[in-house]
Amino acid sequence: MAHIDEYIEKRTVTMAILLSFDIDGTLEFGEPPGGVTKEMVQRAHDLGFIVGSCSDRALSSQRAIWKQLDVPFAFVKAKHQLGTVKGEFPADAYYHIGDRDTDVQVAEQAEFGFWWDHEAVSEPWLDL
Amino acid sequence: MAKETGWERNSDPLGIWEHRGKVAMVGRGHSTTDRRWDGESMDKTLGAYSLVAAQNAMEDAGISPDEVDGIISSAGGQANGQPLGEVWAPRPYFDPPYDSEDGLSHVTAEWLAKQLDLKNVTYMNSHGDTVWNLIGQAAQAIGDGRATVCLVTYPNGNMAGRYHQESSLEASGNAQWSSPWGWGLSGQGFTFDQYCRKYGSNHDRMAPFIVQEHKNGRLWPYSYYALHEPEPFTEEDYLNGRMIAKGLSIFDCDRPVQAAACYVVTTAERAKDMKQKPVYILDHTESAFRPRSLVQTLDDTEEWTDIQAKRAYAGSGLTPDDIDLFSPYDGFAVFTQYFLEAFEWRGVKRGDAHDFYAGDISLEGPNPLNAGGGNMGTGRMRTVFITDSMEQLQGRAGPRQVKGKAEIAVTIGVLPGNAGCLVFSSTPD
Repeated sequence: MAHIDEYIEKRTVTMAILLSFDIDGTLEFGEPPGGVTKEMVQRAHDLGFIVGSCSDRALSSQRAIWKQLDVPFAFVKAKHQLGTVKGEFPADAYYHIGDRDTDVQVAEQAEFGFWWDHEAVSEPWLDL
Repeated sequence: MAKETGWERNSDPLGIWEHRGKVAMVGRGHSTTDRRWDGESMDKTLGAYSLVAAQNAMEDAGISPDEVDGIISSAGGQANGQPLGEVWAPRPYFDPPYDSEDGLSHVTAEWLAKQLDLKNVTYMNSHGDTVWNLIGQAAQAIGDGRATVCLVTYPNGNMAGRYHQESSLEASGNAQWSSPWGWGLSGQGFTFDQYCRKYGSNHDRMAPFIVQEHKNGRLWPYSYYALHEPEPFTEEDYLNGRMIAKGLSIFDCDRPVQAAACYVVTTAERAKDMKQKPVYILDHTESAFRPRSLVQTLDDTEEWTDIQAKRAYAGSGLTPDDIDLFSPYDGFAVFTQYFLEAFEWRGVKRGDAHDFYAGDISLEGPNPLNAGGGNMGTGRMRTVFITDSMEQLQGRAGPRQVKGKAEIAVTIGVLPGNAGCLVFSSTPD
């Protein structure tokens, strides 16, 4: 946590950064559960990141997950619709976090940066 | 594990089933439903869930284990005992009774009889098939006098990890043409595309049907969605689904789950003394076809389902107008329309299904198609087709109970090319 505290202390928000989370296998409330916790998502939101989800789950199911997380979210999208997020949320950088090859594919197609679920548990967005 | 053959009713022309109304279903039991087995919780294995389902079915029917003299199981849910999901091996097994694949990724009748200490079983069969065929087999066995009180168990497993991934880097024979397009699905997409072009429809017109199935399924207590994702599934959800193949989205595919079910099938005479109202079996028919070429075409599909409908009506002596509840399989949601049109339920002819979906197919209306919610609304356990048909005719479907008449129910599954059809009635004649 020292790393995070240090980051929070130093961070000055100069860029708009959007984080798109896959759910199943990525978020702790997914099925199967992933390693990205509510606290991580909450922290990203609190630090000014634009957060939302992009998953093969039904949109209504994604909204239910966010309600369970109790974190304000900017968007829910079907996985193949990741690219549409750019038009709706102007940002300086876009990242998608997921656990499947499909996540890599959609991130590449939408020209998002990508982190695997196991990479995301160290909250690499805090180093941006 | 001997495979019993010759019991199927599949030789045309078929006459009325010789045991029509003399065999009945009485009890049903289910386990809870999980998305997957975690590989650790021994109280959540497919075997453990099958034991729960069998005990619940016997309790539902009001019988003791000593009254059971037959067990039929589809060890893994598919034909020839093959598992629907992945197997546990080569990972190390556990202590007995989970010291082999039996009880983990499949569950044989022999395994169940041992665990339940069923002392009086004289008829046992685990050669396996889908649940429609198993009920048909049990009905025939009971009618032929080979057993009097038979448990029919149907396990459906799903291990951790991805489902039906093609591990081989090589494909030979026919697989060289089909495997590059993925497991099974591309063929169904191809047939559906032909359907849409022939009849001037499109994928989005499936939406009312899928949404209604989800709505119905949320009312079935064992549905994966009722248990784990109870929020309503909407048209917006369906129309935003990621396409898996041309014309088919992820929401046209059932979700693999971990669950087990069991049914008590017995003679009509014996059923009278049991706890629940008997549901009489008027007919069972089976069919298996091969496509003319590498991929099943719409022509194949329509020809096969026409034959299935013809057999069901010939075997039961019923007509489309006699059917109150129709529950055709939907593991890929596009299957349903082929069955619906072939059986001409509610006068639906070839090419009419999507117009029919746009009408009133609710539980409250006159056309409650797949009142249980099908696989789309419950997960890929297949058993809601049997359980809902039973419960509707027994008048104990609770919030799913249709408002209209519920005296005759017909269900068919799984594939247009390989299916069993069952005709149930609230009376024996």
